[in-house]
Amino acid sequence: MLNVTKGCVALTGVLFLSSYALSQTRQPNKPIRADDGKTLVDQFNKNGTGGPAPRHDITGFWAGPPSPKENEVPPMTAWGQEQFKTHKGHSQYSEAESNDPMKFCDPLGFPRDMLYQTRGVAFAPMADRMLQLSQFNRVWREIWTDGRELPKNVGGRSADASDPRWYGYSVGRWDGDYSFVVDTVGSDERSWLDTAGHPHSVDMRVQERYTRLNHNTLEMTITVDDPKTYTKPFVITTSQFKWIPNQELREEICVPSVMQEYLSIIGDPAGESSAK
Amino acid sequence: MKSKLLMPLALVVGLLAVCGPMFAHHGSAAYANTVLVLKDATVTKFVWANPHSFVMFDVKDDKGNIVHWAAETGSSSAVSLLGWNRNSLQPGDVVAVYIWAAKSGSPVGRLNKIVFADGKTLRDSVLGEWAGKSKQSGPALAVFARKTSGHTATTRVRAGST
Repeated sequence: MLNVTKGCVALTGVLFLSSYALSQTRQPNKPIRADDGKTLVDQFNKNGTGGPAPRHDITGFWAGPPSPKENEVPPMTAWGQEQFKTHKGHSQYSEAESNDPMKFCDPLGFPRDMLYQTRGVAFAPMADRMLQLSQFNRVWREIWTDGRELPKNVGGRSADASDPRWYGYSVGRWDGDYSFVVDTVGSDERSWLDTAGHPHSVDMRVQERYTRLNHNTLEMTITVDDPKTYTKPFVITTSQFKWIPNQELREEICVPSVMQEYLSIIGDPAGESSAK
Repeated sequence: MKSKLLMPLALVVGLLAVCGPMFAHHGSAAYANTVLVLKDATVTKFVWANPHSFVMFDVKDDKGNIVHWAAETGSSSAVSLLGWNRNSLQPGDVVAVYIWAAKSGSPVGRLNKIVFADGKTLRDSVLGEWAGKSKQSGPALAVFARKTSGHTATTRVRAGST
Protein backbone atom coordinates (compact mmCIF):
# COMPACT_ATOMS: atom_id res chain seq x y z
CA MET A 1 0.00 0.00 0.00
CA LEU A 2 2.89 2.26 0.88
CA ASN A 3 4.29 1.78 -2.60
CA VAL A 4 0.95 2.63 -4.17
CA THR A 5 0.69 5.81 -2.12
CA LYS A 6 4.29 6.73 -2.92
CA GLY A 7 3.63 6.10 -6.57
CA CYS A 8 0.55 8.31 -6.58
CA VAL A 9 2.34 11.06 -4.68
CA ALA A 10 5.17 10.89 -7.21
CA LEU A 11 2.71 10.93 -10.12
CA THR A 12 0.88 13.85 -8.58
CA GLY A 13 4.18 15.65 -8.16
CA VAL A 14 5.12 15.02 -11.77
CA LEU A 15 1.72 16.24 -12.93
CA PHE A 16 2.01 19.31 -10.74
CA LEU A 17 5.44 20.14 -12.08
CA SER A 18 4.39 19.50 -15.65
CA SER A 19 1.38 21.71 -15.03
CA TYR A 20 3.72 24.41 -13.77
CA ALA A 21 5.97 23.96 -16.74
CA LEU A 22 3.02 24.16 -19.09
CA SER A 23 1.83 27.32 -17.42
CA GLN A 24 5.28 28.82 -18.00
CA THR A 25 5.35 28.01 -21.67
CA ARG A 26 1.60 28.21 -22.29
CA GLN A 27 0.86 25.26 -24.46
CA PRO A 28 -0.82 26.19 -27.71
CA ASN A 29 -4.54 25.78 -27.62
CA LYS A 30 -5.67 22.22 -27.84
CA PRO A 31 -9.41 22.65 -27.93
CA ILE A 32 -11.71 19.70 -27.76
CA ARG A 33 -13.37 20.07 -31.10
CA ALA A 34 -16.81 18.98 -32.10
CA ASP A 35 -15.82 19.21 -35.74
CA ASP A 36 -12.98 16.72 -35.54
CA GLY A 37 -13.32 14.63 -38.66
CA LYS A 38 -15.25 17.38 -40.33
CA THR A 39 -12.54 19.87 -41.19
CA LEU A 40 -11.88 20.42 -44.85
CA VAL A 41 -8.53 18.67 -44.48
CA ASP A 42 -10.31 15.61 -43.13
CA GLN A 43 -12.83 15.71 -45.93
CA PHE A 44 -10.22 16.07 -48.64
CA ASN A 45 -8.11 13.31 -47.13
CA LYS A 46 -10.64 10.96 -48.65
CA ASN A 47 -9.53 12.02 -52.12
CA GLY A 48 -6.32 10.05 -51.91
CA THR A 49 -2.98 11.14 -53.32
CA GLY A 50 -4.25 12.29 -56.72
CA GLY A 51 -1.11 10.90 -58.30
CA PRO A 52 2.52 11.96 -58.12
CA ALA A 53 3.57 15.50 -57.29
CA PRO A 54 4.41 17.69 -60.27
CA ARG A 55 7.95 19.05 -60.34
CA HIS A 56 8.52 22.61 -59.07
CA ASP A 57 4.84 23.27 -58.68
CA ILE A 58 2.83 24.12 -55.58
CA THR A 59 0.50 26.41 -57.52
CA GLY A 60 -3.10 26.27 -56.46
CA PHE A 61 -5.52 26.47 -53.59
CA TRP A 62 -4.99 24.39 -50.49
CA ALA A 63 -7.11 23.60 -47.43
CA GLY A 64 -5.34 23.60 -44.09
CA PRO A 65 -6.17 22.94 -40.47
CA PRO A 66 -7.97 25.67 -38.51
CA SER A 67 -4.91 25.86 -36.27
CA PRO A 68 -1.83 23.79 -37.14
CA LYS A 69 -0.54 21.72 -34.26
CA GLU A 70 2.41 23.38 -32.62
CA ASN A 71 5.44 21.94 -30.93
CA GLU A 72 6.59 23.26 -27.60
CA VAL A 73 8.78 26.31 -27.76
CA PRO A 74 12.27 26.03 -26.22
CA PRO A 75 13.19 28.01 -23.10
CA MET A 76 13.09 31.74 -23.62
CA THR A 77 15.84 34.24 -23.00
CA ALA A 78 15.37 36.85 -20.30
CA TRP A 79 14.25 39.30 -22.98
CA GLY A 80 11.80 36.76 -24.36
CA GLN A 81 10.32 36.07 -20.94
CA GLU A 82 9.92 39.77 -20.35
CA GLN A 83 7.92 40.14 -23.57
CA PHE A 84 5.94 37.00 -22.89
CA LYS A 85 4.74 38.31 -19.53
CA THR A 86 3.05 41.20 -21.27
CA HIS A 87 1.17 38.98 -23.73
CA LYS A 88 -2.17 37.89 -22.35
CA GLY A 89 -3.33 35.14 -24.65
CA HIS A 90 -6.76 33.62 -25.01
CA SER A 91 -5.67 30.30 -23.62
CA GLN A 92 -5.38 31.78 -20.15
CA TYR A 93 -7.31 35.02 -20.18
CA SER A 94 -10.85 36.05 -20.94
CA GLU A 95 -11.55 38.28 -23.89
CA ALA A 96 -11.85 41.23 -21.52
CA GLU A 97 -8.42 40.57 -20.03
CA SER A 98 -6.64 39.47 -23.18
CA ASN A 99 -4.49 41.85 -25.18
CA ASP A 100 -4.20 39.57 -28.18
CA PRO A 101 -3.85 41.84 -31.24
CA MET A 102 -6.36 39.54 -32.87
CA LYS A 103 -8.94 40.84 -30.40
CA PHE A 104 -9.14 44.01 -32.47
CA CYS A 105 -8.65 42.33 -35.84
CA ASP A 106 -5.10 43.64 -35.98
CA PRO A 107 -2.92 41.85 -38.53
CA LEU A 108 -1.87 38.38 -37.50
CA GLY A 109 1.54 39.07 -39.00
CA PHE A 110 4.06 36.42 -39.98
CA PRO A 111 4.47 33.61 -39.00
CA ARG A 112 1.26 33.65 -36.97
CA ASP A 113 -0.73 33.82 -40.20
CA MET A 114 0.59 30.34 -40.96
CA LEU A 115 -0.07 29.06 -37.44
CA TYR A 116 -3.66 30.21 -37.00
CA GLN A 117 -6.73 30.34 -39.24
CA THR A 118 -5.00 28.45 -42.02
CA ARG A 119 -8.14 26.91 -43.44
CA GLY A 120 -7.29 28.20 -46.90
CA VAL A 121 -3.95 29.09 -48.50
CA ALA A 122 -2.97 29.57 -52.13
CA PHE A 123 0.27 29.87 -54.05
CA ALA A 124 0.44 31.83 -57.28
CA PRO A 125 3.82 32.07 -59.06
CA MET A 126 4.81 35.11 -61.06
CA ALA A 127 7.95 35.64 -63.11
CA ASP A 128 9.95 37.09 -60.24
CA ARG A 129 8.06 36.11 -57.12
CA MET A 130 5.64 33.67 -55.56
CA LEU A 131 2.48 35.10 -54.08
CA GLN A 132 1.12 33.37 -51.02
CA LEU A 133 -2.52 34.15 -50.41
CA SER A 134 -4.38 33.52 -47.19
CA GLN A 135 -8.10 32.99 -47.01
CA PHE A 136 -8.21 34.63 -43.58
CA ASN A 137 -8.44 38.37 -44.07
CA ARG A 138 -7.42 37.98 -47.74
CA VAL A 139 -3.79 38.71 -46.94
CA TRP A 140 -0.99 38.08 -49.42
CA ARG A 141 2.76 37.79 -49.07
CA GLU A 142 5.34 38.40 -51.76
CA ILE A 143 8.07 35.79 -51.78
CA TRP A 144 10.79 36.96 -54.14
CA THR A 145 12.33 34.34 -56.38
CA ASP A 146 14.52 36.64 -58.49
CA GLY A 147 17.66 35.92 -56.52
CA ARG A 148 17.66 39.01 -54.39
CA GLU A 149 19.02 38.91 -50.88
CA LEU A 150 17.00 39.53 -47.77
CA PRO A 151 17.41 43.00 -46.28
CA LYS A 152 19.87 43.26 -43.44
CA ASN A 153 19.41 45.10 -40.18
CA VAL A 154 15.64 45.52 -40.53
CA GLY A 155 14.44 47.96 -37.90
CA GLY A 156 17.95 49.22 -37.29
CA ARG A 157 18.96 52.84 -36.70
CA SER A 158 20.96 53.35 -39.90
CA ALA A 159 19.39 55.46 -42.61
CA ASP A 160 19.22 52.57 -45.05
CA ALA A 161 17.66 50.11 -42.61
CA SER A 162 14.34 48.73 -43.81
CA ASP A 163 11.20 49.12 -41.73
CA PRO A 164 9.83 46.09 -39.91
CA ARG A 165 6.69 44.69 -41.55
CA TRP A 166 3.75 42.71 -40.27
CA TYR A 167 4.55 40.06 -42.87
CA GLY A 168 8.28 40.59 -43.08
CA TYR A 169 10.52 40.26 -46.13
CA SER A 170 10.67 36.92 -47.90
CA VAL A 171 12.70 35.16 -50.56
CA GLY A 172 12.05 31.70 -51.94
CA ARG A 173 13.83 28.97 -53.89
CA TRP A 174 13.33 25.38 -54.93
CA ASP A 175 15.25 22.75 -53.03
CA GLY A 176 15.13 19.65 -55.19
CA ASP A 177 12.07 18.91 -57.30
CA TYR A 178 9.30 19.18 -54.76
CA SER A 179 10.29 21.52 -51.92
CA PHE A 180 9.82 25.28 -52.05
CA VAL A 181 11.80 26.95 -49.27
CA VAL A 182 11.01 30.42 -47.99
CA ASP A 183 13.26 32.51 -45.74
CA THR A 184 11.78 35.51 -43.97
CA VAL A 185 13.18 38.31 -41.81
CA GLY A 186 11.91 41.59 -40.43
CA SER A 187 8.61 40.59 -38.85
CA ASP A 188 7.15 43.42 -36.79
CA GLU A 189 7.50 42.77 -33.06
CA ARG A 190 3.93 43.88 -32.46
CA SER A 191 2.76 40.58 -33.92
CA TRP A 192 2.70 37.47 -31.77
CA LEU A 193 4.39 34.28 -32.81
CA ASP A 194 1.23 32.31 -32.08
CA THR A 195 -2.11 32.43 -30.33
CA ALA A 196 -0.55 31.38 -27.04
CA GLY A 197 1.19 34.75 -27.07
CA HIS A 198 4.76 33.60 -27.54
CA PRO A 199 6.84 36.60 -28.58
CA HIS A 200 9.43 37.17 -31.27
CA SER A 201 11.96 39.86 -32.03
CA VAL A 202 12.46 41.76 -35.25
CA ASP A 203 15.72 39.82 -35.59
CA MET A 204 13.84 36.53 -35.98
CA ARG A 205 14.53 34.45 -39.06
CA VAL A 206 11.88 32.00 -40.16
CA GLN A 207 12.18 29.26 -42.71
CA GLU A 208 9.14 27.64 -44.28
CA ARG A 209 9.53 24.47 -46.27
CA TYR A 210 6.62 23.49 -48.48
CA THR A 211 7.07 19.97 -49.79
CA ARG A 212 4.57 18.57 -52.24
CA LEU A 213 4.32 14.95 -51.18
CA ASN A 214 1.91 14.07 -53.97
CA HIS A 215 -0.60 15.89 -56.12
CA ASN A 216 -3.06 16.35 -53.28
CA THR A 217 -0.77 16.88 -50.28
CA LEU A 218 1.45 19.79 -49.36
CA GLU A 219 3.48 19.56 -46.18
CA MET A 220 4.54 22.72 -44.38
CA THR A 221 7.38 22.86 -41.87
CA ILE A 222 8.18 26.12 -40.11
CA THR A 223 11.47 26.66 -38.30
CA VAL A 224 11.99 29.66 -36.04
CA ASP A 225 15.45 31.01 -35.30
CA ASP A 226 15.31 33.96 -32.92
CA PRO A 227 18.29 33.98 -30.52
CA LYS A 228 17.15 37.20 -28.93
CA THR A 229 13.94 35.48 -27.76
CA TYR A 230 14.61 31.73 -27.66
CA THR A 231 17.63 29.77 -26.51
CA LYS A 232 17.74 27.63 -29.65
CA PRO A 233 16.11 27.34 -33.08
CA PHE A 234 13.02 25.14 -33.22
CA VAL A 235 10.48 23.64 -35.56
CA ILE A 236 7.20 25.14 -34.46
CA THR A 237 4.98 23.07 -36.72
CA THR A 238 4.82 20.43 -39.39
CA SER A 239 1.37 20.39 -40.92
CA GLN A 240 -0.32 19.21 -44.05
CA PHE A 241 -2.52 21.00 -46.54
CA LYS A 242 -4.84 19.29 -48.98
CA TRP A 243 -5.65 20.15 -52.57
CA ILE A 244 -9.06 21.80 -52.85
CA PRO A 245 -10.91 20.05 -55.68
CA ASN A 246 -12.87 23.09 -56.90
CA GLN A 247 -9.90 25.42 -56.31
CA GLU A 248 -11.99 28.03 -54.51
CA LEU A 249 -11.47 29.73 -51.17
CA ARG A 250 -14.13 31.13 -48.87
CA GLU A 251 -14.34 34.68 -47.65
CA GLU A 252 -13.12 34.74 -44.05
CA ILE A 253 -12.52 38.24 -42.78
CA CYS A 254 -12.16 39.61 -39.28
CA VAL A 255 -14.35 42.72 -39.34
CA PRO A 256 -13.37 45.29 -36.68
CA SER A 257 -16.88 46.66 -36.19
CA VAL A 258 -18.30 43.15 -35.74
CA MET A 259 -15.49 42.34 -33.31
CA GLN A 260 -16.30 45.48 -31.34
CA GLU A 261 -19.94 44.40 -31.24
CA TYR A 262 -18.90 40.94 -30.05
CA LEU A 263 -16.67 42.40 -27.32
CA SER A 264 -19.37 44.79 -26.21
CA ILE A 265 -22.12 42.19 -26.03
CA ILE A 266 -20.20 39.08 -24.93
CA GLY A 267 -16.44 39.33 -24.52
CA ASP A 268 -16.28 42.18 -22.04
CA PRO A 269 -19.28 41.20 -19.88
CA ALA A 270 -17.97 37.63 -19.70
CA GLY A 271 -14.70 38.79 -18.25
CA GLU A 272 -15.99 41.54 -16.00
CA SER A 273 -15.34 39.95 -12.63
CA SER A 274 -12.08 38.26 -13.50
CA ALA A 275 -10.70 41.43 -15.03
CA LYS A 276 -11.05 43.35 -11.79
CA MET B 1 -7.88 -1.21 0.42
CA LYS B 2 -10.17 0.04 -2.29
CA SER B 3 -10.77 3.33 -0.52
CA LYS B 4 -7.04 3.75 0.05
CA LEU B 5 -6.49 3.36 -3.66
CA LEU B 6 -9.30 5.72 -4.54
CA MET B 7 -7.99 8.67 -2.56
CA PRO B 8 -4.74 9.15 -4.46
CA LEU B 9 -6.63 8.50 -7.68
CA ALA B 10 -9.07 11.24 -6.75
CA LEU B 11 -6.13 13.55 -6.13
CA VAL B 12 -4.78 12.87 -9.59
CA VAL B 13 -8.19 13.31 -11.22
CA GLY B 14 -8.67 16.52 -9.29
CA LEU B 15 -5.31 17.80 -10.42
CA LEU B 16 -6.11 16.99 -14.01
CA ALA B 17 -9.38 18.86 -13.62
CA VAL B 18 -7.43 21.91 -12.50
CA CYS B 19 -5.04 21.52 -15.42
CA GLY B 20 -7.94 21.21 -17.83
CA PRO B 21 -8.72 24.88 -18.35
CA MET B 22 -5.24 25.44 -19.76
CA PHE B 23 -6.34 23.57 -22.83
CA ALA B 24 -9.52 25.52 -23.25
CA HIS B 25 -10.47 27.32 -26.39
CA HIS B 26 -9.61 30.98 -26.69
CA GLY B 27 -11.66 33.22 -24.47
CA SER B 28 -13.13 30.30 -22.54
CA ALA B 29 -11.21 31.19 -19.37
CA ALA B 30 -14.22 33.34 -18.51
CA TYR B 31 -16.73 30.50 -18.73
CA ALA B 32 -17.88 27.85 -16.28
CA ASN B 33 -17.22 24.21 -17.04
CA THR B 34 -20.82 23.13 -16.60
CA VAL B 35 -23.45 23.39 -19.26
CA LEU B 36 -26.46 25.53 -18.44
CA VAL B 37 -29.70 24.64 -20.20
CA LEU B 38 -31.93 27.56 -21.12
CA LYS B 39 -35.27 26.30 -22.37
CA ASP B 40 -37.85 28.30 -24.31
CA ALA B 41 -35.24 30.79 -25.44
CA THR B 42 -36.47 33.22 -28.09
CA VAL B 43 -33.86 34.24 -30.62
CA THR B 44 -33.59 38.00 -31.11
CA LYS B 45 -30.47 38.27 -33.27
CA PHE B 46 -27.93 36.06 -35.00
CA VAL B 47 -24.59 37.44 -36.20
CA TRP B 48 -22.78 35.26 -38.75
CA ALA B 49 -19.13 36.28 -38.66
CA ASN B 50 -15.44 35.49 -38.22
CA PRO B 51 -13.82 34.74 -35.91
CA HIS B 52 -16.91 34.61 -33.71
CA SER B 53 -20.51 34.21 -34.67
CA PHE B 54 -22.97 34.90 -31.89
CA VAL B 55 -26.63 34.55 -31.07
CA MET B 56 -28.75 36.75 -28.83
CA PHE B 57 -31.90 35.46 -27.19
CA ASP B 58 -34.40 36.18 -24.43
CA VAL B 59 -35.19 33.83 -21.58
CA LYS B 60 -37.63 34.31 -18.69
CA ASP B 61 -36.21 33.95 -15.21
CA ASP B 62 -38.08 32.31 -12.32
CA LYS B 63 -39.98 35.53 -11.66
CA GLY B 64 -41.11 35.91 -15.22
CA ASN B 65 -38.66 38.68 -16.03
CA ILE B 66 -37.07 38.55 -19.44
CA VAL B 67 -33.28 38.21 -19.36
CA HIS B 68 -31.36 39.11 -22.49
CA TRP B 69 -28.70 36.51 -23.16
CA ALA B 70 -25.92 36.29 -25.74
CA ALA B 71 -23.80 33.28 -26.68
CA GLU B 72 -20.71 33.13 -28.84
CA THR B 73 -20.06 30.28 -31.23
CA GLY B 74 -17.16 29.25 -33.38
CA SER B 75 -16.40 31.15 -36.55
CA SER B 76 -18.74 30.87 -39.48
CA SER B 77 -15.93 28.99 -41.23
CA ALA B 78 -15.91 26.40 -38.44
CA VAL B 79 -19.60 25.93 -37.76
CA SER B 80 -20.51 25.88 -41.44
CA LEU B 81 -18.85 22.46 -41.51
CA LEU B 82 -21.32 21.38 -38.85
CA GLY B 83 -24.38 22.30 -40.85
CA TRP B 84 -24.83 25.93 -39.90
CA ASN B 85 -25.41 28.78 -42.32
CA ARG B 86 -26.26 32.45 -41.96
CA ASN B 87 -29.97 31.60 -41.90
CA SER B 88 -29.72 28.86 -39.28
CA LEU B 89 -31.31 31.03 -36.61
CA GLN B 90 -34.02 33.59 -37.18
CA PRO B 91 -35.47 36.15 -34.76
CA GLY B 92 -38.50 34.58 -33.15
CA ASP B 93 -37.19 31.02 -33.19
CA VAL B 94 -37.91 29.30 -29.88
CA VAL B 95 -35.12 26.91 -28.94
CA ALA B 96 -33.29 25.28 -26.05
CA VAL B 97 -29.83 26.75 -25.58
CA TYR B 98 -27.03 24.75 -23.97
CA ILE B 99 -24.38 27.17 -22.86
CA TRP B 100 -21.25 27.48 -20.77
CA ALA B 101 -22.21 30.63 -18.94
CA ALA B 102 -19.78 33.34 -17.85
CA LYS B 103 -18.38 33.04 -14.36
CA SER B 104 -18.93 36.78 -14.05
CA GLY B 105 -22.68 36.24 -13.72
CA SER B 106 -23.40 38.25 -16.85
CA PRO B 107 -25.97 36.54 -19.08
CA VAL B 108 -23.43 35.61 -21.72
CA GLY B 109 -21.47 32.50 -22.52
CA ARG B 110 -20.00 30.05 -24.98
CA LEU B 111 -22.54 28.02 -26.86
CA ASN B 112 -22.55 24.27 -26.57
CA LYS B 113 -25.51 23.53 -28.79
CA ILE B 114 -28.97 24.71 -29.78
CA VAL B 115 -31.89 22.31 -29.96
CA PHE B 116 -35.07 23.14 -31.86
CA ALA B 117 -38.51 21.89 -30.88
CA ASP B 118 -38.37 19.22 -33.59
CA GLY B 119 -35.09 17.92 -32.21
CA LYS B 120 -32.89 19.46 -34.88
CA THR B 121 -29.59 20.33 -33.25
CA LEU B 122 -26.91 22.87 -34.06
CA ARG B 123 -23.67 22.02 -32.27
CA ASP B 124 -20.91 24.50 -31.74
CA SER B 125 -17.45 23.78 -33.08
CA VAL B 126 -15.52 23.42 -29.83
CA LEU B 127 -15.99 21.78 -26.46
CA GLY B 128 -18.82 19.73 -27.90
CA GLU B 129 -17.74 16.52 -26.25
CA TRP B 130 -18.72 17.96 -22.91
CA ALA B 131 -22.34 18.13 -23.95
CA GLY B 132 -24.64 16.13 -21.74
CA LYS B 133 -21.88 15.01 -19.41
CA SER B 134 -22.28 17.87 -17.00
CA LYS B 135 -25.23 20.15 -17.16
CA GLN B 136 -27.40 22.28 -14.98
CA SER B 137 -30.98 23.35 -15.40
CA GLY B 138 -33.89 24.52 -13.28
CA PRO B 139 -32.46 25.84 -10.01
CA ALA B 140 -29.19 26.79 -11.64
CA LEU B 141 -31.07 28.83 -14.19
CA ALA B 142 -32.96 30.54 -11.39
CA VAL B 143 -29.68 31.35 -9.67
CA PHE B 144 -28.20 32.72 -12.86
CA ALA B 145 -31.34 34.70 -13.53
CA ARG B 146 -31.15 36.29 -10.09
CA LYS B 147 -27.45 36.95 -10.40
CA THR B 148 -27.91 38.50 -13.79
CA SER B 149 -31.06 40.49 -13.14
CA GLY B 150 -29.00 43.59 -12.42
CA HIS B 151 -27.37 43.36 -15.82
CA THR B 152 -30.58 43.07 -17.74
CA ALA B 153 -31.09 46.74 -18.40
CA THR B 154 -27.48 47.23 -19.38
CA THR B 155 -27.65 44.33 -21.76
CA ARG B 156 -30.85 45.63 -23.26
CA VAL B 157 -29.16 48.94 -24.00
CA ARG B 158 -26.19 47.16 -25.53
CA ALA B 159 -28.41 45.00 -27.62
CA GLY B 160 -30.44 47.94 -28.75
CA SER B 161 -27.39 49.90 -29.70
CA THR B 162 -26.15 47.35 -32.21
